[in-house]
Amino acid sequence: MNANKTRAWYLEKTFTALMWLFLAGACLAVIIPLAFMFTASAMPARDILKMPYPWIPDGIYWQNFWNALRGPEGTFIFARNAFNSLLVSGTVAFFTVIFSSLAGYGLAKFKFKGRNLVFMLIMATMMIPFEAIMIPLYMVAMRMGLQDTYAGLILPFLANAFGVFLMRQYLITFPDEILDAARIDGASEPRIFGSIVMPSSGPAIATLAILAFRSQWDSLLWPLLVVQSDEMKTIPLYITKFMAETHSDEGIMMAVAVMASIPMIVLFLTLSKYFVNTEGLTSATKG
Amino acid sequence: MRHKRGFSMERKKARWGWVFVTPSLILFAAFSFYPIINAFYESFFNRNLLSLRPPSFVGWNNYTYLFRSKEFWLSVQNTLIFTGGTFLPLLVFSLILAVFIMSISRFRRFFQMAFYSPAVLSSVVAAMIWLLIFDPRGLANQGMNSLLGTAGVNYNWLSTTTMLRLSTIIVYFWKYIGYFTVLFVSGLGSIPDTLGEAALIDGANRWTMFWYVTFPLLKPTTLLVSIMTMIQCLKTFSTQYMFTSAGAPTRPINVITLSIYNTAIKDYRIGRATAMSILLFIVMFAFTWLQLKVSRTEDVSHM
Amino acid sequence: MILKKPVLLLIVLSLFLVTSAVGAQTIELTYWTHTDDNRTVIENRYIEEFQKMYPNVTIKRVVNEASKMGDLMLTAFSANNAPDIFNLPIEQEYGYMMHHRVAPVNYAAIGYKDAADLASQYMPGTFDTVTMDGEIYGLPLELTNWSIYINKNVFRDAGLDPEKDYPKTWEEMIEVADKLTLRNGEIITRRGFDFRYPYYLVAMLPMVEQLGGQLISDDGKTAIVNDDAWIQVLEWFRTWGPHGRNLGSPTYTAARKIFNMDNNDIGMALTGFYQQGRIRVDNPEFYESGEWMVVPFPVFENAVNNVGCSYYGHFMMVNAQASSEKQEWAWKFIAYMLDHPWEYLETVNIIQPRQDLLDDPRYMELPYMNVFMDDMARSHMVFLHENGFQFERFIKEAVESVMLSNMPSEEALDILRERIQEVLDDSY
Repeated sequence: MNANKTRAWYLEKTFTALMWLFLAGACLAVIIPLAFMFTASAMPARDILKMPYPWIPDGIYWQNFWNALRGPEGTFIFARNAFNSLLVSGTVAFFTVIFSSLAGYGLAKFKFKGRNLVFMLIMATMMIPFEAIMIPLYMVAMRMGLQDTYAGLILPFLANAFGVFLMRQYLITFPDEILDAARIDGASEPRIFGSIVMPSSGPAIATLAILAFRSQWDSLLWPLLVVQSDEMKTIPLYITKFMAETHSDEGIMMAVAVMASIPMIVLFLTLSKYFVNTEGLTSATKG
Repeated sequence: MRHKRGFSMERKKARWGWVFVTPSLILFAAFSFYPIINAFYESFFNRNLLSLRPPSFVGWNNYTYLFRSKEFWLSVQNTLIFTGGTFLPLLVFSLILAVFIMSISRFRRFFQMAFYSPAVLSSVVAAMIWLLIFDPRGLANQGMNSLLGTAGVNYNWLSTTTMLRLSTIIVYFWKYIGYFTVLFVSGLGSIPDTLGEAALIDGANRWTMFWYVTFPLLKPTTLLVSIMTMIQCLKTFSTQYMFTSAGAPTRPINVITLSIYNTAIKDYRIGRATAMSILLFIVMFAFTWLQLKVSRTEDVSHM
Repeated sequence: MILKKPVLLLIVLSLFLVTSAVGAQTIELTYWTHTDDNRTVIENRYIEEFQKMYPNVTIKRVVNEASKMGDLMLTAFSANNAPDIFNLPIEQEYGYMMHHRVAPVNYAAIGYKDAADLASQYMPGTFDTVTMDGEIYGLPLELTNWSIYINKNVFRDAGLDPEKDYPKTWEEMIEVADKLTLRNGEIITRRGFDFRYPYYLVAMLPMVEQLGGQLISDDGKTAIVNDDAWIQVLEWFRTWGPHGRNLGSPTYTAARKIFNMDNNDIGMALTGFYQQGRIRVDNPEFYESGEWMVVPFPVFENAVNNVGCSYYGHFMMVNAQASSEKQEWAWKFIAYMLDHPWEYLETVNIIQPRQDLLDDPRYMELPYMNVFMDDMARSHMVFLHENGFQFERFIKEAVESVMLSNMPSEEALDILRERIQEVLDDSY
């Protein structure tokens, strides 16, 4: 019996070791491109495509960052573009939360005729790829005079079907008793929503806000259509400036990449619990 | 009397329901419903985006053209290859990683964060990074060469059909592996330990425990995740767009969304482009309907 | 004191008239163009000067990357939201003209009697492609053709004499490039030459024409003339690519982007006169050293036509949907800007085909201008067609299939023919 135990023990140990190896290996594989981005931003362009890749740069080549900030036309428009991205992403996140919570709450806790139809309709919009409605949407926006404006970048994204879905699923599980008690106490519906429902929905709100923020930060196609002037560009548009016709400086490109990623990275590190655990929210909520 | 009061309470509640939903509905109407209906309408005409002349009505012609078009079926094929090639490895690997992470005692959070980190970068940045890595002189070739002990072999990551498709799959995989690993970790986390312990006491080893206890309980999550992934993969655009803009050949990775974009913007054929989008919409509608059905009937009781 | 009604009415009316009069006179023009640092500097100055001369006019200049301009312009026009003034390469502008989205030149506003008078001030044939029904629809910003730039250092490093050993035929191009290429295994670290992907209509179609082939038959009805010519060119590309002699491919960095750096990574580049201006800015030592030169566009050994690389142009055009007053001011402004041909030439290195510029004795003195002019003399304007954009995409995919996916040339050609024919037939 002693011999058996030892064999099982060895197997267990080997397995655990292999597991660790696998995890570490996978981890490394995932991190390497990120490490590449950071190290490449610190070296002059001609070193980046050298073979073999010089992982450890000698000193940080600050010119890359300087040129990235300066922009291809020397206008230092990066600051303004970064501000645009932050403003647009933040505003979209904020209002998406509000509108989606309102709609989600209405769909979750109130029975009215046509409720299911409304829900189905909203869900249906999730399935249309953006490229399909790109042109008609652009025409709608133009007719409203939204080209080259913040409103044009923000408004179309406040109708977030996934947000409504998320909030509805989350709020369905909100205990009715609390709501009814508040109603009996004489609180008005808006008051109930604002002071009771919303504050208790922290996790869902955080998830939604982060998702909305992230997808706006990333957005390339719509700003490409709507933005016309240099000042109104967002970060992805700014980045594509560096992939332009006339020169190609990989160092500056990577420096821009680093600078463009900093806000999201900061968000990720500080609010990591909402990133890493929030997705669980989606699968944990049941229809 | 009470009957009456109950009735008006209902009505009041119903009204409030509408009040809460209306702001979103207005936005949806303007920015979602109207463009979609407009797109559907456009698909029955052959408008040239540049022309000021009114377009002519062509009925179902756009659709019949697509069904007969080799190019269209090629883009369908490309999309399916991409979807299949991406979501299966994603599912399998994220499950494996999640199981491993749950099996170790320390560093769980660290690993999850590490795997998740690529998702934090914007797709433009991700494409830029990978374009450099896949450059013939870049890390991808160097890595493969040093791993296999060869010298100077060029795997043509961005040139040949197979490799190019593989490259787009790799980028997507890299970006989303963390997301799905985390999903599975939560799914696994919601399975009480007592079940596993009970199985172990009953004499099961790690492997059988996983296969006969954990995996079945994870099925609903797995199903949900697969459908979500599939929908995302069907909609893929930025990686293919960025790669083709940077000089990679279009044919192998001309997925439906890219085809829609090019047909509208480069060929000026908005009618055909919208017809393609409607077809894509129908496919995705089917998938989402499936997803909702699954999530509704999924009823996992841990007893 | 209460104002009497009629007096009040009079005051309001006059205020209204004054403000609307002032308002009506203020013109704001939007001008979209592509990035070019040098040109931006001088054009901003022109804007300032023009606005000083005409205080009621303001001009907003917007730049975007050249590769994105086509898409942006299209979406803007399709939403009836286009700029007043813009420029695009002629292949892209053609469609706008055909669909009457741009306005004809206002000859009187810029001091000409009529179209013929305007045309006489320019090189013969300049306006051929922007003339429709006798009216001219654009003023040329530049007319450009490409020739081969050579980095002498790279040639010498490979043991070749740049003055004598440069390639005169496409077959020689392969051999010379092979000698210049440095590799690490299969991975190319220095290319001899790199083709100008993805401008197939400008650079690749002439190669086909050299062998007697055509994209479309003269009557415009049939796609692909002379299969053998096409196949020879496609095979040439296959030999060039990774499945052949491995001399380059579209996925390496474009030659014109790295040529200026003189970084020993490219030997030759296919680009225009303007490249010199960029070398001068990016790398003055390289420019001054004279270690670069320009040679003519090669021809096939068995060529039947001595055709050079096509030239293309950028024309300034005016949005047809702008008010006629705006249009008039737009043409005035365009003419003012373009009235500095020497400054455009010296600062931006682009050539306006104005007769006064070409006749100027200083013109032919410019470095290698004779090479460019000789090449231009034996070439023609880039192939233009309403669906030119699409055709170029089809050609791109054909070349890529052969070069990168190793598809047999005949098959690629058949697919190309089918796709072009379909567009020609406009079948639905």
